[in-house]
Amino acid sequence: MKTIIFNKHKFQISNEGILFWFDKQIAIISDLHLEKGSSYGHSGQFLPPYDSEETLKKLSEGIKNHNIKKVILLGDTFHDKNAFNRMSEKAFFLLKSLIKKYEVIFILGNHEDKLKIDNINFLNEYVIDDIHFIHQALQKSIFQISGHFHPVATIKSSIKKITLKCLLHTNNHIILPSFGTYTGGLNINDQALKPFVNHQSYIYMLAKKSIYKFTSKEVEI
Amino acid sequence: MSDILKIEPIYNWLKKNNWAIYNHQIETLKLSENGYDVLLVAPTGGGKTLAGFLPSLNDLINNKPKKNKLHTLYISPLKALTIDVHRNLTSPIEDQGLNIRVETRTGDTSAYKKNRQKVLPPHMLMTTPESLALLLSNKESKDYFKDLKYLVIDEIHTLVNTKRGDLLSLNLSRINSISPDCKKIGLSATVKNKNTVLKFLTSKKKAKTLNVEETSVPKIDILETINRVPWSGHMASYAIRDIYQKIKKSSLTIVFVNTRAQAELVFNKLWQENENNLRIAIHHGSLEKEIRRKVESLMSSGKIDCVVATSSLDLGIDWGDVDLVVQIGSPKGISRFLQRIGRSNHRFDEPSNALLVPSNRFEYLECLSAINSIKNKLLDETKEKQGSLDVLAQHILGVACSEPFQVDELYNQVINAWPYRNLTKIKFFEVLEFVKNGGYSLKHYEQYSKIGVNKNKFYAIKNKSVRNRYRLNVGTIVESYMLKVKLGNRTLGQVEEWFIEGLNEGDTFLFSGRVLEYQSISNNNVIVRSTSHTQPKIPSYAGGRLPLSTELSIEVRKLLSKKQFWKNFPNQINEWLKLQSQFSNLPSLNGLLVETFPRLMRGKKRFFLICYTFEGRNANQTLGFLMSKKMQRIGYKPISFVATDYALAIWSINEVIDVNIILNDDLMLDDLYEWLEETPLLKKNFRDAAIISGLIERSVPGQKKTGKQVLFNSDLIFNVLKKHEPKHLLLEVAREDSYRGLIDLDRLSDFLKRIEKNITHEKLDRISPLAVPLILEINRQTIDKSEMEEYLLEELENETLSEVGLS
Repeated sequence: MKTIIFNKHKFQISNEGILFWFDKQIAIISDLHLEKGSSYGHSGQFLPPYDSEETLKKLSEGIKNHNIKKVILLGDTFHDKNAFNRMSEKAFFLLKSLIKKYEVIFILGNHEDKLKIDNINFLNEYVIDDIHFIHQALQKSIFQISGHFHPVATIKSSIKKITLKCLLHTNNHIILPSFGTYTGGLNINDQALKPFVNHQSYIYMLAKKSIYKFTSKEVEI
Repeated sequence: MSDILKIEPIYNWLKKNNWAIYNHQIETLKLSENGYDVLLVAPTGGGKTLAGFLPSLNDLINNKPKKNKLHTLYISPLKALTIDVHRNLTSPIEDQGLNIRVETRTGDTSAYKKNRQKVLPPHMLMTTPESLALLLSNKESKDYFKDLKYLVIDEIHTLVNTKRGDLLSLNLSRINSISPDCKKIGLSATVKNKNTVLKFLTSKKKAKTLNVEETSVPKIDILETINRVPWSGHMASYAIRDIYQKIKKSSLTIVFVNTRAQAELVFNKLWQENENNLRIAIHHGSLEKEIRRKVESLMSSGKIDCVVATSSLDLGIDWGDVDLVVQIGSPKGISRFLQRIGRSNHRFDEPSNALLVPSNRFEYLECLSAINSIKNKLLDETKEKQGSLDVLAQHILGVACSEPFQVDELYNQVINAWPYRNLTKIKFFEVLEFVKNGGYSLKHYEQYSKIGVNKNKFYAIKNKSVRNRYRLNVGTIVESYMLKVKLGNRTLGQVEEWFIEGLNEGDTFLFSGRVLEYQSISNNNVIVRSTSHTQPKIPSYAGGRLPLSTELSIEVRKLLSKKQFWKNFPNQINEWLKLQSQFSNLPSLNGLLVETFPRLMRGKKRFFLICYTFEGRNANQTLGFLMSKKMQRIGYKPISFVATDYALAIWSINEVIDVNIILNDDLMLDDLYEWLEETPLLKKNFRDAAIISGLIERSVPGQKKTGKQVLFNSDLIFNVLKKHEPKHLLLEVAREDSYRGLIDLDRLSDFLKRIEKNITHEKLDRISPLAVPLILEINRQTIDKSEMEEYLLEELENETLSEVGLS
């Protein structure tokens, strides 16, 4: 875990990409993209249909020993409007027990536009103190924690380049990496992320065993 | 001769050109007329291709062919060869005014022409295995091939025991069921396992092999030089001046190298030497097609003096009057070398002329062994391989695209293909399930099945889009994602994405014979500009070296173990070996020589262990991993190792006292599986299998994935699949390919059996002469590239040599 101070609040990021706000007993996760694998099925690409199960297991394992009460999912929890219906029994069970155990806040992501699920209420925004939880970062001066972009960063060692998922922290923004098993990444040097990457950015690269903190200058841009 | 008279126009044409008719051509014709399928095994040249076409030409000339029906199909592994053969066949046909239409069909053929060929087939069609698979997946394919009379497969030996060959053999079996009377003729270079090639060609009992012996022995020399043969390295820079002199004396020379990087470097160095302004060109697989075609046509019209080439010029194309072939570095295999030598004096009753240039000392021994092997008519053996299941998956979908099939019928057709003869019905069904909907134990995708069962219990594709998608994914060659190299508006060729990823703006590299400066990537193009630098910063961009073949390895050990062979060696090699025999020992023919000695490495005392296996780089690499693991368990604290084609060097903190505890049968059992599961090789093979089998698509209509995206996804899938279905079909395919491929497991296991109780352990107090090339290789591989200035290497070399007393 690495500590991030964000508008005087203390957050911690884990290797798996879960952001903890321990003072409030909250875990924040983004972009699960449940059933991304099976979304290719109708076109005849039969990817192993175990990604939702993997993702949800990793999530509950990641938070279970941290005395968490509330889970905030920052949107694109489901990959498409039919994703919920395609979930396997096992995956469905895992999701149900998550909701039972914690207070789960669902932020609405762009993939969930036409999605309707009984008893789940998708919010555009959720606010605690002065922190706004949203799906996609806005170019406003409010303090925001968001997802959407699936940021990854590349660092060049003497032997080779390594690309890893990363958390991006710039002034009033924290942008979380994607958590879903089959999710890919967008390099932080991409045009779309330009407004949120500058010389005051910190990049937390998430490796299997440790987390590396860089300034944007050190990372290949 | 009487038979050929029946094909009067051909006879007239040969006579007009003063060309002889060979016996094997007439024999092929006779056998085929008598209903035999024929495998013609002959050295390069000698009218092999004409022999293959004679039966078909005979039939076309003497019996009126059906109108608008495909009569003869010619398949070659190379697009360029189809074009070459097309040209060669067109010449007698036009000259004699015959009414025979000959056309090519490859990935390069225009959609318009392809469509016309569908409606109005030529008499003869020249194509590749991939284009054939596509043709056979058409709805009308049964009708299209119904009247096929002859099938000619060129360079068939290069396809046997490969995935491409698997695909072709499945399609041959399919053609066989569509037109059972079609006669097959296979053309092959001289190979060891002729019988396998014949079986691959045809399952008929009425089949024969025609073997044409080489009538002339090729003249092969090793370059004599006053310069010192280097201790290590692969670039043969020491010999460039001598090679240039040879090129000057010949009218057309091909300089063969083993990698594209070598090609660029040798080309560059030859031009630096080029005081006479000889016309020297370069040819390799990454260069733009137009550039390659231009070089080829310059060769055949004699407007060029020398071409530096990789295997892109290996196969049977007649590129003009080559009178000298230079091979830089060891050819690594006997058959490949013969094929290359055959490029010179491309007429088989005249001896070929070749010059070998070893790039280091061990290679000198290897080159000598290659020459001996050719004298003794030894040939490499290819390891037999069972048909791959990812290829079968692709094929099943292809069949379904052309027409509904019945399971038993298809199964019988599949096991009729030689590589799949041992396929069980259970495995077949497993693959069928995979094609239908992924074959997961979780029945997740049933509603989306690509193929389903209709009322008559026939399997059929669900809709047209399945066919369209199949067509975009045909083939068994999975290439790294390539980017076009653009200099202004000109496309120079293609490089792998991973190479460009390693470059920074302003870096310079050799490509297409120029030093280029990298600027940026835009729209999948690599933008470069010319630069005045003569020394590129990044020396190379491709590996792909082949390991030393088993047969050559035996020959090298033979040479080393018997002193009477040494008398013809040049002095420097002779002295090196003599000193070794005084100081330590020599590798024996059947045993293993192991040396251990202490040595300072960056100021710290380390213990080196060297195994002179001569089993090739891949097997040595695997051996290195396994031995390190075991040494770790025993407590020797190994630090790292380096593997070459000839030997393995491991260094550790503690001294190894008894090598027998490490090198025994258990070695393969202990850590192999665990290690393999973690190798990047397995992931790469999984990606290939996932693409070939259609799990991941190469491209989707309207959107093209970049190579990187494919890789990223396949790794994610790999990890999930390994956890949830570790026995999944594609994981099995990936494991099998890994065992067979780079890891060279069979070879390693044979090796361990051979050396059991036959290990000579020399405990030395310092480095031995034979170990010098290895220690230098370690320096090359472990020193940071940016520090690796030439002088530093030289200094290290001199230090090492004086240690041994060899300076």
